[in-house]
Amino acid sequence: MVNYFFQGLFFFLQEAGPEPSSGIKNAMLEGLKHPDLSKFLVVGALLFIIGVAGVLTRRNIIVIFMSIELILNAANLNFIAMSRYLQHTGNVNALAGQIFTVFVIVVAAAEAAIGLGIVIALYRNKETIWVDEIDLLKW
Amino acid sequence: MPLSSYESLFFWIFGIAAILAGLLTVMARNAVHSALFLISSLVSVAALFVLSGAEFIAGVQILVYVGGVMVLFLFVIMLVNVGAEEEGREEIFNNQRQVTASLVFCFLLVLGVLYAVNKGSSTLVRQNLSPEAVSEQQAVRNATLNRSATGTSTITKDTEQVGSLLYRYGSLPFEIASVLLLVAIIGSVMLARTLRQEAAVDDVDPEVLNDEALRDPELIRLESASRE
Repeated sequence: MVNYFFQGLFFFLQEAGPEPSSGIKNAMLEGLKHPDLSKFLVVGALLFIIGVAGVLTRRNIIVIFMSIELILNAANLNFIAMSRYLQHTGNVNALAGQIFTVFVIVVAAAEAAIGLGIVIALYRNKETIWVDEIDLLKW
Repeated sequence: MPLSSYESLFFWIFGIAAILAGLLTVMARNAVHSALFLISSLVSVAALFVLSGAEFIAGVQILVYVGGVMVLFLFVIMLVNVGAEEEGREEIFNNQRQVTASLVFCFLLVLGVLYAVNKGSSTLVRQNLSPEAVSEQQAVRNATLNRSATGTSTITKDTEQVGSLLYRYGSLPFEIASVLLLVAIIGSVMLARTLRQEAAVDDVDPEVLNDEALRDPELIRLESASRE
């Protein structure tokens, strides 16, 4: 497990494309100078995890909604990065990722509208926006 | 495929800005600050979209997310703001045990994701192109694009391609998405009504109405007015 972690950390700084020509340090520098698909995926993954942490730890229901937006946005970033990768490999359906992103944005907008409507209704009835005080269904 | 020169510089700037702004979104004490940090995170991600050649999606991201959704968020924050949060009287995070558990979970998620990216990228198609060859390819592709009015830059075909693909392959999901948005509009209007507004269209359970009428006698009048 620990091995995987260090492998992953090492990978983050390392070029994933062509084989490193000479040494780890060179490969890292090459990866910094020419970020490729894997760097986009790592940025997306970090944004996703930050969003998950926000959903799990915050008490303010509005900030939880914002964290969900962050998660959806990380997914969008992955779609776009993959779409770019496929464009360069000459895939015919390469732009499908961008189409998906449009729909993700639509669903996010609908979700935000409904969710914030619920928040307002809840605040009107219970006078609170702390999720640990909204425990009507808990026994 | 790999970015080069100024593109890679901008990639690191906007990638790190997106992650930092995301972290601050989760950690800010004031919900308004959270919203503003989220806006900067979204704009940074839009810049990453531009770097990936998805100019249309970047525009949609800024217009819909930053211009629409985040304004909605700010309105709701203003409507329900309690003030106790930023004065430090209320704890912004859950209790210690839950935070520890979720951070452990997130750490496991980090390990899993890094492992997956590490494993998966070895199966991706290797492109043995040097960055110079890639930028040469890019220059060849740019030469086929239309020149802009000033002649200093070229006009991308991205929007055109996405639009035609959307109507050729995605027209049914597109229509479904429009119905979804309609449902969302009606649903949020229904959810956000006050009791008086509900009574005025005779939409309240009679038992609830009788209870609430003790506090607000106006309700009975509104409800009987709606019956006539």
